[in-house]
Amino acid sequence: MVSGAIALAFLPLLLTLIIRYRYYFVLLYRAVLVRIWKDCITGVTREERAYQYVLTHATPGDPDSILEAFDVWCSKVEFISNIGPKKGKILDRLLMEQSPLTVLELGAHCGYSTVRIARSLPLGARLYSIEMDHRNAAIAEKIIRLAGFDDDTVELIVNPSDEVIPRLRSDYNLERLDFVFMDHWKKCYLPDLQTLEGSGLLGKGSMILADNVLFPGAPKFLRHLRRSGLYQWKIHRATLEYSKGIRDGMAELVYQGVK
Amino acid sequence: DGEKKKRKKRRRKGAHRAEEGEDEVQTRHERREREKRRRAKNDQETSEEEDDKEEDSKDEEVRPECLTPEELEKLKEAVDERKKLIQSLRGKPWPMKKKLVTLRESQEFVEKYEGALGKGKGRKLYAYKVMMTKKWMKFQRDFENFKTACIPWEMKIKEIESHFGSSVASYFIFLRWMYGINMILFGLTFGLVMVPEALMGRPYGSMPRKTVPRSEETSAMDFAVLWDFGGYAQYSVLFYGFYNNQRAIGWLKFRMPLSYFLVGVGTVAYSYMVVIRTMARNANESGVGDDNSFNFSWKMFTSWDYLIGNPETADNKFASITTSFKEAILEEQESHKDDNIHLTRFLRVLANFLVLCCLAGSGYLIYFVVRRSQKFALDGLENHTWWERNEVNMVMSLLGMFCPMLFDVISTLENYHPRVALQWQLGRIFALFLGNLYTFIIALMDEINLKREEEKIVKFNITTWEASLYNGTISENSTAPSITINPADVPRGPCWETMVGQEFVRLIISDTMTTYITLLIGDFLRAVLVRFLNYCWCWDLEAGFPSYSEFDVSGNVLGLIFNQGMIWMGAFYAPCLPALNVLRLHVSMYLQCWAVMCCNVPQERVFKASGSNNFYMAMLLVILFLSTLPAIYTIVTIPPSFDCGPFSGKNRMFDVIHETLESDFPAWFSKVFSYASNPGLVLPFILLMVLAIYYLQSTSKSYRQANVELKKKLQTVI
Repeated sequence: MVSGAIALAFLPLLLTLIIRYRYYFVLLYRAVLVRIWKDCITGVTREERAYQYVLTHATPGDPDSILEAFDVWCSKVEFISNIGPKKGKILDRLLMEQSPLTVLELGAHCGYSTVRIARSLPLGARLYSIEMDHRNAAIAEKIIRLAGFDDDTVELIVNPSDEVIPRLRSDYNLERLDFVFMDHWKKCYLPDLQTLEGSGLLGKGSMILADNVLFPGAPKFLRHLRRSGLYQWKIHRATLEYSKGIRDGMAELVYQGVK
Repeated sequence: DGEKKKRKKRRRKGAHRAEEGEDEVQTRHERREREKRRRAKNDQETSEEEDDKEEDSKDEEVRPECLTPEELEKLKEAVDERKKLIQSLRGKPWPMKKKLVTLRESQEFVEKYEGALGKGKGRKLYAYKVMMTKKWMKFQRDFENFKTACIPWEMKIKEIESHFGSSVASYFIFLRWMYGINMILFGLTFGLVMVPEALMGRPYGSMPRKTVPRSEETSAMDFAVLWDFGGYAQYSVLFYGFYNNQRAIGWLKFRMPLSYFLVGVGTVAYSYMVVIRTMARNANESGVGDDNSFNFSWKMFTSWDYLIGNPETADNKFASITTSFKEAILEEQESHKDDNIHLTRFLRVLANFLVLCCLAGSGYLIYFVVRRSQKFALDGLENHTWWERNEVNMVMSLLGMFCPMLFDVISTLENYHPRVALQWQLGRIFALFLGNLYTFIIALMDEINLKREEEKIVKFNITTWEASLYNGTISENSTAPSITINPADVPRGPCWETMVGQEFVRLIISDTMTTYITLLIGDFLRAVLVRFLNYCWCWDLEAGFPSYSEFDVSGNVLGLIFNQGMIWMGAFYAPCLPALNVLRLHVSMYLQCWAVMCCNVPQERVFKASGSNNFYMAMLLVILFLSTLPAIYTIVTIPPSFDCGPFSGKNRMFDVIHETLESDFPAWFSKVFSYASNPGLVLPFILLMVLAIYYLQSTSKSYRQANVELKKKLQTVI
């Protein structure tokens, strides 16, 4: 019905969309299509494959080499949504400046960020890492022990975060959290933040770092940040992990306390 | 002039602040007005107060009868001194509070003693004169206020400027300026062409050219036909074909064909004059000193846009200034190492090649579509669907919308500075639109030639038909062969001018519709989706894809310029075009103002519009020239149709000028004119004008060089 000429006139639009959003297409290919393909072929999960690779290519006891092996695997072979080298540098710098003694991590996934944080912790500090999924938690446990961090430094809690946070004070005897790193499901950022506020574990000067607030994005979280006035916040702009053209950001919050 | 503008701005700001109740700093003029009101009241009261001077404790000295002449002189000097102080107060380096106190005291002093300066009877006259001058000044100021308030859409544009910055507002100011021009064009065509023919010309149905032919009568009132400007719309004052070629119509003896021709020429002449005058005015303001030296100082001190009034825009501007600093630093660093220059050059050549491919592709597509539509026209238009009939317009509008986006994406290969990239982009879009337009015109030329071929055949047929009629009646009655035939039944010659006018009107309507629909879908629908789907979508629609759209200044300005070019091209053949354009611009203004405030976000890179102003004017001038060329070509070379329009029966359209000169002017005038139009006189005149232009150009170049020298001297001194 509609003539071919009119359809042909839409060709520039198609080309424009493809070229402008090429990074998103590449991400789709790597994160979704390759994963499905490899899952069908090998039969093991993605995290298992990552663990196999790290096991064969990294030196045990050396967190740097483990992180590097992870980076190589995620850039070349497949895609896992770790924090990545560039944003990881921001995380390292903030940890160096803050030197927290008690760190909470929400969402360990494979253990990449856990190892990264544990590497920059001062002496005597303790990291509590919460992971909801059992299989991921098993792999994360193996990787953390492979990196050489024992139970004094890193404790892995396998439970959903909304169940753990209210019990942190009673079960783990925590008085105050100096640093919180959020990298779990984006739609849980806001509820968990509010639970943390309510539990009284945040003191003045506690820092919260939330990853991926721009892509995939946590709009309600950001809206709460702007309106509540409880935090001095800043967004570190960078690119999505292992990807060049997709803009992303990390939100750094410093708790000011209720006025 | 700059002072007046500053005063006006401050006054408006003062009015706003007074509304909000912030009375901290009052402008001098608000206070002056209040002083004036008080003074006017006082002047009325002084005449009553003369009897009650004892009650006024302040007026101890003001008894003019008891003042000696020397004291009067001294008083006069004091009053003059105070007046001078008031005038020079603005330039004094005092703090604001001191200035305000001094001003109030001086004004009170002047007011008190001025009325007392006149002597005896002259005193009342003097006081009266003083009061009248003050009232006159107040009236002048109120009139200036009124004139400023009369500027249409001023508040709307100021609001947009405060939210989006000056570059977006410059588009709307340009739109308003175009609206003014189109109003004048509308006034000319409506008042001098359409109204006289409608009021004083022969009415509808009295002549063959003014009547819908019998074969089309049944469908003449259909909405579809009217929307395509056929039927009753075609046989009306809206198009060329309706006009009668009678030399003088009505009791005023209005020379209709002459008026039609002169209005056509006058619209072009007026447009040239206005565009060149605006360019000259803009040329004086440009040249802010964008040298390559002191880059960072210029950026530091001149980047801020003081017309921004919205916090979010201010944040954006702040971020964009920071980004531009970062980029400037990177550029400085990169300019020291240029090892990738071959790669850059290759990429730029590649990008230009891709753009050329795209332009060639679009040109060919339009040519192909036009050929197809000619084939459809030969088959008869009723056999084809609406899509096929309007294929040309749709393809032109779609290409005009999508190709610029492709050029934008290709230009990221080139790695130019944003301002240079923008100029390249504008140049490419310009080439695209121009190519499309000229392909369209070439297609039209083909159709005109077809119609002229048809005309010859029809002329032959009409002569045989009339002969048969006459033969039939003479056999009946030999006295008065008055043949009353309904004008609808007379066989008609094809009217290529009306056809051209119709094509342009249809093109402009389809262009307008495409723009509005794109606005509604691309901006409004997108904003609605982003806003309301964001609650239940996995990624943040506002920060990532698709997010709210930005206002594309250059695309919109070019669209406006090309639209105006089409108006200029078609206005001679369809006098209704300026009226249509006035309506379109009016609706565009409101629609786009609403869309910008409702659906768009400020651009991330907010840069100044001042550099681009003259660029847009230059493009407008080029378009004006290029669009009047086809019209002039058709007027000069193609003979008008023989039975429609005000020039029917003439050999060429401009013969109407000869006719007027011969019949309406005294004989000596036409002789003078024939001498003046002698090539022997015209050529030296043209030569003289060329020499004058060369002389002016060289003097302006030398002035500019002197300017640069002076600037250099200033730099070395400082």
